[in-house]
Amino acid sequence: MTRLTIDGVEVEVAPGTTVLQAARAAGRDIPTLCFDERLAPFGACRVCLVGVQDAPGPIASCTTACREGMVVDTQAPAARRVAGAVVELVLSELAAPPAEHTELAAVARQFGVGEPRWPGAVHPEREDLRHPYLAFQHGLCISCGRCVRACDEIQGAFALTATGRGFTANVAAGIDAGFRESACVSCGACADTCPTDAIAEVSLLALAESATI
Amino acid sequence: MAERFDRTTTTTCGYCGVGCRLEARAREGRVVSIAPALDGPANRGHTCLKGRFAHQFSRSRERLTTPLIREDGQLRSASWEEATARIVEELTRIRRERGPDAIAGLASSRATNEDCWAMQRLMRAAIGTNNIDNCSRVCHSPTSYALRRSLGYSGATGSFDDIEHADAAIIIGANPTEGHPVAGARIKQAALHGLRLVTIDPRRIELADYGVLHLAPRPGTNAAVLLGLAHVLEREGLVARDFVEARTTGFDAVRELIAAYSPQAVQEITGIPAADLEAAAMIYGQAGEASILWGLGVTEHKFGSEVAQLLCNLALMTGKVGRPGSALLPLRGQNNVQGSSDMGALPDTYSGYRPVADETVARAFEQAWGVPLSRTPGMKIPQMFDAAVAGDLKAMFIFGEDVAQTDPNTTHVVRALEALDFLVCQDIFETETTAYADVILPASSFLEKTGTFTNAERRIQLVGAAIEPPGEARTDFDILTALSRALGHDMGLEAPADAMREIAALTPEFAGVTYERLGRRGLQWPVAPDGTDAPILYGERFEQPDGRAHFAALPYKEPGDAADDEFPLVLITGRRLEHYNAGTMTRRTANLELLPAEWLELHPDDAARLWVADGDLVSVRSRVGRIEVHARITDRIEPGHVFTAFHFPEVRTNLLVGASADVNTSCPEYKVVAVDVRPVQEAPSATPALASAG
Repeated sequence: MTRLTIDGVEVEVAPGTTVLQAARAAGRDIPTLCFDERLAPFGACRVCLVGVQDAPGPIASCTTACREGMVVDTQAPAARRVAGAVVELVLSELAAPPAEHTELAAVARQFGVGEPRWPGAVHPEREDLRHPYLAFQHGLCISCGRCVRACDEIQGAFALTATGRGFTANVAAGIDAGFRESACVSCGACADTCPTDAIAEVSLLALAESATI
Repeated sequence: MAERFDRTTTTTCGYCGVGCRLEARAREGRVVSIAPALDGPANRGHTCLKGRFAHQFSRSRERLTTPLIREDGQLRSASWEEATARIVEELTRIRRERGPDAIAGLASSRATNEDCWAMQRLMRAAIGTNNIDNCSRVCHSPTSYALRRSLGYSGATGSFDDIEHADAAIIIGANPTEGHPVAGARIKQAALHGLRLVTIDPRRIELADYGVLHLAPRPGTNAAVLLGLAHVLEREGLVARDFVEARTTGFDAVRELIAAYSPQAVQEITGIPAADLEAAAMIYGQAGEASILWGLGVTEHKFGSEVAQLLCNLALMTGKVGRPGSALLPLRGQNNVQGSSDMGALPDTYSGYRPVADETVARAFEQAWGVPLSRTPGMKIPQMFDAAVAGDLKAMFIFGEDVAQTDPNTTHVVRALEALDFLVCQDIFETETTAYADVILPASSFLEKTGTFTNAERRIQLVGAAIEPPGEARTDFDILTALSRALGHDMGLEAPADAMREIAALTPEFAGVTYERLGRRGLQWPVAPDGTDAPILYGERFEQPDGRAHFAALPYKEPGDAADDEFPLVLITGRRLEHYNAGTMTRRTANLELLPAEWLELHPDDAARLWVADGDLVSVRSRVGRIEVHARITDRIEPGHVFTAFHFPEVRTNLLVGASADVNTSCPEYKVVAVDVRPVQEAPSATPALASAG
């Protein structure tokens, strides 16, 4: 067993446990965006940053294994400041705030991030409604990779692909000809994990709109 | 924040036997979305396009919302009082004139354990007959028979978790990525992470692409394949002598039998290259832990129950049973096909598979129910239809099953339904079968009821009502208990929870089951009185009087049908990912958009020979029937074989399937049907056609 301290509390975890797992098991809440417990840790979004004593800077808790004697501060100001800025940057690329029910909106609330301070280019709206159950709203994609990984690691359909680079990074089914022309088996794991509704259940699109009226 | 849902109900999926736990989210009385439960033991936060999306059927305009009564040949709406009175009057008359055995009932493997319990009690106690069966008759009854004879309990020896614990696995006669998609996804992930997978199927199923070896036997030759594998295991010294000695009986006879099944001899029978068979045996035999999974490609044969026993032989001779990773896992078809049989909705057994002729058991039920009970086993489904045609069976009560579409030899089934004096159907839609009904009772889908389902790993899981039944439709449990009361037998069961208390009191394997204990993760029977369940069976002893497993020395025998000059191709029937069984539910959802019609898979060589092009309408004729369907040309199937499913009433596939059935359980031989395929109409042409154009 590995012993460490999280927010002043000593905990004991099995070797290989990540800091995120240990913190959550200890009842400490660390916000995440690219993390899904069904998937292997990815470490892309930098929202789960925490402070670790003697570390040169905040570390991603989802990809860091606990070490003996580690002293973790989930509320470390530097970690919170950087993670909050990351969320704000993500929001600044969206044409509109994310729908209230989404994970991204919940994370923004956790960090107290409102209207982003940085105006600039936003992702253009692009919808694909050719599948009866699954809708693409490409303008909402934040390139967290959860859908691609769910497709690979849960279903094993390998139908989704990360496309583009930098600001134009997005996601596509097959060669961007829609779900139905790809290897998609319509399991919906992508919509289930998507934190922004970039991939959403068609039946819920109308619902989300009517609910806010 | 505006809530998108009024109500979220954790429940268990009503599609296949994997038993995904779901969160059904409703708004204004409709299910609007279903998400997988993250803590579902079988699905672990995942589900498929049926469980997740195919729920719109529950509010289809075609749902039955009032009882219907046939009057002057026409069905008309009726009140529950009228419908009940008609049923009581007719069943009482027939019982008086012809005796209780002139009446038969079918319970539904899509209904809950509590529904099936009420149904078998209705037939046994209110009517007075053991003529009660369920649709596991036509799918996994051979599995149940084999497991009981070889090992003891009628159920998987382990859990889906064994897939991840195994070093190797054999999948035979199953196509999990289509039929059991979530189990299929788990197997695929395991294969991607190093599970050495051997697939055995006449078709090159999707998982074959992820396995290390695929064997494609001729349909109906599974027994030879398994005897050949046993031969190689013995020859290569891979038999677990200590285990065989300490835990089993009957291996000597098997050893003598398998001597004749050399890989060469098996190649002659099955068409599988001898070297492939040897390699498969080595993969299974040399693995530390290995599991065997199977489906209807094993059972729906003339000797399906024997083949399932031969599967048990493999696990027993290598000692690969009763440990994490070493399991025998039948992939049960419908959501509660395990449970409906566990509940005793069978003509020869009470709950827990105890014979109706067992005096002690029968007395216990008589005491609980306060009525005398028949000691004579009732009729199985095929016998019911035979008896109806012969005039001996006068009335049937069919609950949640579309026999006119799903049972074999459809012409015969229809003749039987027509011959009945009185037919009651309890269903959520009008079906091919309800067309012959005198009374139709509007029932509930799985989204509208409470109770339990038991999945393929013997896991009893709670079902919760996400919405109300539409119109005047009622829950199956309410319908059956009210009808029993009207027939003079008050079950005294107000709610499904009361039924579970009675089940637990009367069934040793369910002794410790309560809804509270089932909680979110369910329990795998047998459940001890203190609530301890059994994820893995037979760690120490087998459930036989002597505590030992029994080998079965059963030789290969030829299937009931074979290709000949008139019917040169062999038809195999099966399932498609997008649809479920008779399609009554999935065809009323957008799954129909994803897969709008059935097709016949045909090998390119056969297509060229028959002048059939991709998409052509072809006629498929067997010894008992003929259908028309569009052809799709694919090399996933071997030359000489064709494949189709039975999800669409437009393609009545089961018209083609004859009366041949498993010798021990009467499970129909859906998987080997000799057929003749030809184009319905060749393209009119002014110029002579070229054969190569096909």
